[in-house]
Amino acid sequence: MIQDHLFFAGINILLAWSVYIILLSGSLSFANGAFMAMGAYAAGVLTVKFGLPLIPALALAAAGTGITGAALAAPALRTRGVYLIMVTTGITFCVQVLLENLDYVGGVGGLGGMSGATLWHVYGLVALVGLGLWFLSRSHLQRMLDAIREDEQVASALGMNALYLKIVCFGAGAALAALAGGLFAHYMAFIRPEHFGVLVSVYVVLYAVFGGVNNLWGPMLGAVALTLLPELIRGLASWRPLVFGTVIVVLLLVRPDGLLPWRTLTLRARRP
Amino acid sequence: MLAEQIINGIVLGSMYALVALGYTLVFGVLDKLNFAHGETFMLGGFVAIAASALGAPLWVAFPCALLICGALGLLVELLSFRKFRSADAQVTAALSSLALGLVLIDLVQKTYGSEPVSLELPLEVRTATIAVGGIEIAQIKLAILGIALLLMGGLQVLVTHTRVGRNIRAVAESPLAAALLGIHVRLVMQQTFVIASALAGIAGVMLAMRTGYAASDIGFTFGIKALAIMAIGGMGDLRGAMLGGILVGIVEALAVQFGLGKLGEIVVWILMIIVLLVRPGGLFSTGTEQRA
Repeated sequence: MIQDHLFFAGINILLAWSVYIILLSGSLSFANGAFMAMGAYAAGVLTVKFGLPLIPALALAAAGTGITGAALAAPALRTRGVYLIMVTTGITFCVQVLLENLDYVGGVGGLGGMSGATLWHVYGLVALVGLGLWFLSRSHLQRMLDAIREDEQVASALGMNALYLKIVCFGAGAALAALAGGLFAHYMAFIRPEHFGVLVSVYVVLYAVFGGVNNLWGPMLGAVALTLLPELIRGLASWRPLVFGTVIVVLLLVRPDGLLPWRTLTLRARRP
Repeated sequence: MLAEQIINGIVLGSMYALVALGYTLVFGVLDKLNFAHGETFMLGGFVAIAASALGAPLWVAFPCALLICGALGLLVELLSFRKFRSADAQVTAALSSLALGLVLIDLVQKTYGSEPVSLELPLEVRTATIAVGGIEIAQIKLAILGIALLLMGGLQVLVTHTRVGRNIRAVAESPLAAALLGIHVRLVMQQTFVIASALAGIAGVMLAMRTGYAASDIGFTFGIKALAIMAIGGMGDLRGAMLGGILVGIVEALAVQFGLGKLGEIVVWILMIIVLLVRPGGLFSTGTEQRA
């Protein structure tokens, strides 16, 4: 039982980070539930129908979803702000309905027979991605992304290829969501399209926003807190959506930048 | 049979249009998405359930939904939009209203359970038909269509011919200029939310009467489709929302007729994505009209 909660907390950390990576370049994606679904189904099909081991299947699924994500992003990133929210929401709906109508992966009935994902896989990946993001947060690339997020026109005028970086971030976020989805599928052993509806995309974004999206610890804290807190306090579990929603509304009113709003400094910034 | 399906589509589309009008009014005035709007619409259906459970006659649900959902609109404005006025806060306001919507869904599910609740209608209301040009049409469908068209006409008159409407158009054009000219911008925003939410509430009552039940998840199925319709019609464009709603209603009814089933559901989303990418002003935009 406790193992389940820890597992889902790990998956949610990965998903919150997948939103965070896309947000680094200033785009908000409500399509991460769809990317999670693509990763889960792709990895599931590879292990169940083609007999691949778990790790190569995950890698292939992540690569495929990352490329798909980048390909979708190229036209979708012509839109901004609320328009992008709507386009990505549309993508989530389309993927869910397509999966429901694809008989090869079981349609509405779902796909079963996956196994093999353990806590070690999830937390190994969390450590790996966390390390990568930590190095990123001290790098030159992060400064470029910050510039693009704050003002895309100024960044472009300074010679940064804003659209290219935004597409790369989108693809990377999609790949990470796919990894989380693949692990989720191989832990649950059985997946259905309704596991990856628009609500999942929404919750994942709210995890990230709850913790704060200015540094990599925020999404992690948000995901862990909002996954584990209702389980730890007995009696709260059945009130989860209510508590969750109220906490978000109140938090946005008192701390619009999330729980951990500070930015990490680079090595260079600390030099006198 | 085909004609009947098209009429069904128009009736469905008129309800889509009412909800989409609420989205588009708020977007036109504040430039922000109100994700709690679908839940306001959902609540309208449960107001009808509550009214009929108290033994009130059928028509009582309409004024009740108008008042309750209008008041809810005020609450949404206060909690999710009042503080987030700047253009940068677009996403924050959208997320905040989304979270508020989750709370509303949960409150309704705590009261009525997560299964759809059926609305008891008198038999003669449900089965009475009227023959128009050789087709038997249920009177309740005609009544819904009539009320919806009346409300849309009323809204059009309100926006174009009254002081309230003039203020709304002024704030939609530029809140700063409107404030400088002595318009109470916050009051106008509150009025916009009340009008939008009241329309959604009435649409919710009508959907419950049409289908015979109220479900707590329609905000995420029916309501969010109205959001896509708003984008198809052009964000902030009142006429576009009306035409887009009826167009999508007819397309969906025809998709059912020709056996596309659930694939018909994504037609609206694909259409929305295409419109946003190649014609962001909306399907019916001429590029010259002002937004409401």
